[in-house]
Amino acid sequence: MGVIQLDRLEVRLGGRTVLAGLTGELRGHAIGLLGPNGAGKSTLINTLLGFHEPASGVARVLGLDARLDRMRIRQNVGYMPENDSFIGNMNGVRFVRYMAELAGLPSAEALERAHEALFYVGLGEVRYRKINTYSLGMKQLIKLAQGLAHGPKLLILDEPTNGLDPNARQRMIQLIKDIRKQGGTKLLISSHLLRDIDETCDEVLILNKGRIAAISNIEEERRSHLNFIELEMEGSTEGFTQKMRSLGCECASFAGGRIKLVMPDALAPRDLYIAAAEQGAQIRRIQLRRDSLEDIFLRAMDYEGGRVDHVRV
Amino acid sequence: MSVFDHDYRPYEGRLTPLGSRPLVLARYALNEAWSSKITIGLFVLALLPSLVELVIIYLADNPIARALVMRGSPALTINESFFLHVLETQCWFALVLASWIAPRLVAFDLSDNALPILLSHPISRFGYLSGKFIALAVSLSYVTWIPCLMLFVYQCYASPEPWAMGHLSLAAGIFAGAAVWIVLLSMVGLAVSSWVKWRVIATGAIFAVVFVPAGVGGIASAILRTRWGLLLNLPVVMTELWQRMLGAPALMNSRLELPTLAMVSVLIIACLLCVAVLNARIRAREVVRG
Repeated sequence: MGVIQLDRLEVRLGGRTVLAGLTGELRGHAIGLLGPNGAGKSTLINTLLGFHEPASGVARVLGLDARLDRMRIRQNVGYMPENDSFIGNMNGVRFVRYMAELAGLPSAEALERAHEALFYVGLGEVRYRKINTYSLGMKQLIKLAQGLAHGPKLLILDEPTNGLDPNARQRMIQLIKDIRKQGGTKLLISSHLLRDIDETCDEVLILNKGRIAAISNIEEERRSHLNFIELEMEGSTEGFTQKMRSLGCECASFAGGRIKLVMPDALAPRDLYIAAAEQGAQIRRIQLRRDSLEDIFLRAMDYEGGRVDHVRV
Repeated sequence: MSVFDHDYRPYEGRLTPLGSRPLVLARYALNEAWSSKITIGLFVLALLPSLVELVIIYLADNPIARALVMRGSPALTINESFFLHVLETQCWFALVLASWIAPRLVAFDLSDNALPILLSHPISRFGYLSGKFIALAVSLSYVTWIPCLMLFVYQCYASPEPWAMGHLSLAAGIFAGAAVWIVLLSMVGLAVSSWVKWRVIATGAIFAVVFVPAGVGGIASAILRTRWGLLLNLPVVMTELWQRMLGAPALMNSRLELPTLAMVSVLIIACLLCVAVLNARIRAREVVRG
């Protein structure tokens, strides 16, 4: 059973089509939801939680229909919204306990879990302080704590590192990795920061202008691009790429003499220098690297936007 | 499990029934409402008239005490009119209490944008409002039908003559009259508080919703020389309704009396307007048109 299944999902808000015909299935343990601002990431999350009604099509979360089984979905999901969302005049432990009780935990268990969740996210020492006295990082963490307290099967994090300083961001990423490692909770992480998704997710759904630009298994992409090389060259890069293609490489040329290529196992880096010398080109920089999420994202954006003039694959 | 083990673990214990979740909201809302000293102060103030009325019932039912305390005064009569006066007094105190409590129940959630988090839990918008409604209705009950019926029970106990059996419909009228007022006040209180996020302004707006239409109705009645303008006058409508529910003698000129159906219709329309406002305002996400 997929974590999220979309079947021709269309969502219209205020007379505009925000999500158009999304179809796909996500099975990863930690799923990244990527896209530029306005791509429809938050709308998709809101639809999965039952806040927005689909105009047509079906969205399923953990096998449950987002239109018909809202309450069961919400029972199994923890949600950390993007913006500030809390009750400022409550202290931390009371707020998390309240949310846990709303999720169905009996009062005593909710209190116990609230303490645990707050210690787990690192707010143990400030749990009796009113939330409106918390710093921005603490407010992010308490949103995470309330999402975790009832032990959800799926944790939805909307821009979890928004507004965090580098240390707080690293701590948040570490917590997400930790939750993923524990294995009991699936994660859906929405972000426009590629690095966050790259560090935490194994599958990514890329949205652009309300459509699916790509669904990609990051791990598989990485495995299939083990001999990925990035070059910076001067001289006849055109002749060089033709030569490399004739040797069995997959090449992509970028502006500024940048070339990315995947070499077959039979070739060695030395062959690059030989081919460059033959074509009168100079290799200024060579970097062995894996295909990054940035490449996957840029490819998806370019295919979607029709901007293929910068990238030739 | 100890809080010193900082590991995350899934929850595998029992869950409360889905239908009981609004009660969680109601419990926290009640706690929020009654954590304020002003709420306690208003509550005590609202019970003072009941103490006076308790003394009046005691004196009315005790000729010796009456003779000692009220020498030469006419006899006190405990009847429908007396309880109409009690109910009216308590219900107007309930308005003051509602205008203070209702904004506390909703405004904190709205000003801190807590609705997305609250409604991401297994509770519907209806459930959320039910919880808040229960909290407000319980709070208002403390100052309306509960003290009124306690006075009724005391009168039944203290009356030298058999009084209770002949006046059971009065008790039902007190409860029903207070219940109508509590429902209306709760709806208006929640709707106004959801519309106006600032608590102080919301408190004023609740009074305005009750008294401004009364003024407009009065002006309309005077200009058009009609009694129908009184339908906008909630204090008049409610007093008329309570008088009929308790079976007390008419207070108004028969020419100005309003049909019961018209008054009930006005109350229903007011409640429907409140439902429409709540439906528009209590949402996890606002949708921007255009």
